[in-house]
Amino acid sequence: MKHYFVFLKKELMEYARTYKLLILLAVFTIFGMTNPLIAKLTPDLLANFMPGGMTITIPEPTALDSWAQFFKNTQQMGLIVLLLVFSSVLAGEISKGTLINLLTKGLMRQAVIVAKYGAMLLVWSISVGLSAFLTWVYTAYLFPGDGVSQLVFAVFCMWLFGAFLLAVLLAASTVAGGNYGGLLLTGLAVVALLTLNIVPGALKYNPVSLASRSMELAANAIDKSVLYPAVAVTIPAALGLIGIAVLVFRRKQI
Amino acid sequence: MDVLREYWLFLLPLIIAQFVLMITALVHIFKHPDYRFGSRAMWIVIVVLFQMVGPIVYFVFGRGEDH
Repeated sequence: MKHYFVFLKKELMEYARTYKLLILLAVFTIFGMTNPLIAKLTPDLLANFMPGGMTITIPEPTALDSWAQFFKNTQQMGLIVLLLVFSSVLAGEISKGTLINLLTKGLMRQAVIVAKYGAMLLVWSISVGLSAFLTWVYTAYLFPGDGVSQLVFAVFCMWLFGAFLLAVLLAASTVAGGNYGGLLLTGLAVVALLTLNIVPGALKYNPVSLASRSMELAANAIDKSVLYPAVAVTIPAALGLIGIAVLVFRRKQI
Repeated sequence: MDVLREYWLFLLPLIIAQFVLMITALVHIFKHPDYRFGSRAMWIVIVVLFQMVGPIVYFVFGRGEDH
């Protein structure tokens, strides 16, 4: 346990020093504030840019539009930035050889993997929490009185999918070599999961559904319970991937 | 632009956040002469021109190692 906390602290300090923390917090802050504003201002902006005399009628935006922006942005740009920023977290240290010293001094190998996952998960949780909080505050001001149902669970699903992707990234980084090998493998894994949806019935259990259907959840188009199977698959899958990462990393030549 | 006047209070923190990212990246560019690829001039243009995306790309791909 001591190894774990020492390495976790070192890892978090490194994120601050290498601007990873700044990028993620800034990006998710910007998203959090942009989502409601885009929803609110789109009709005005369109009206401004329309050639004279032309009028189009757009339904009055609601809080749901604001959250639609949140889920769209987090799912696309947010997750991409997250993976990009963390892509070199393991490979960078292996290629620079900074781990050798620590490992020969007795740092346990599983502590490296588990602490790295813990640190990434912590930063991701803060980022997505911050973004959701800002969207919530702005939405409450800009769209007073509008409620959105099942919101907390929808945000949780989004968070869980991010946590799953980080586990994929870490496992992929232990297997693949090079700075971008892990990222490439993660991309392939996501494509594979998306393709899996062709199989009838797979959608229900697919971790991708957690992100892709979060908007339907917030719009109340589906009930919470529809995503329970996907949650039940994703949590053990993420833990399993971390287990694989530990096993592979133990045998890895550094 | 009535829209800007009406919502400036909401837009201000957004602009500040963008600015902080840009300035941090610029300071780093000026302090470090080595980049993984590209030149100083290229990174300055990228960071200033592309809001948010520019600084991210610089820190993820362009930033050289500290000595």
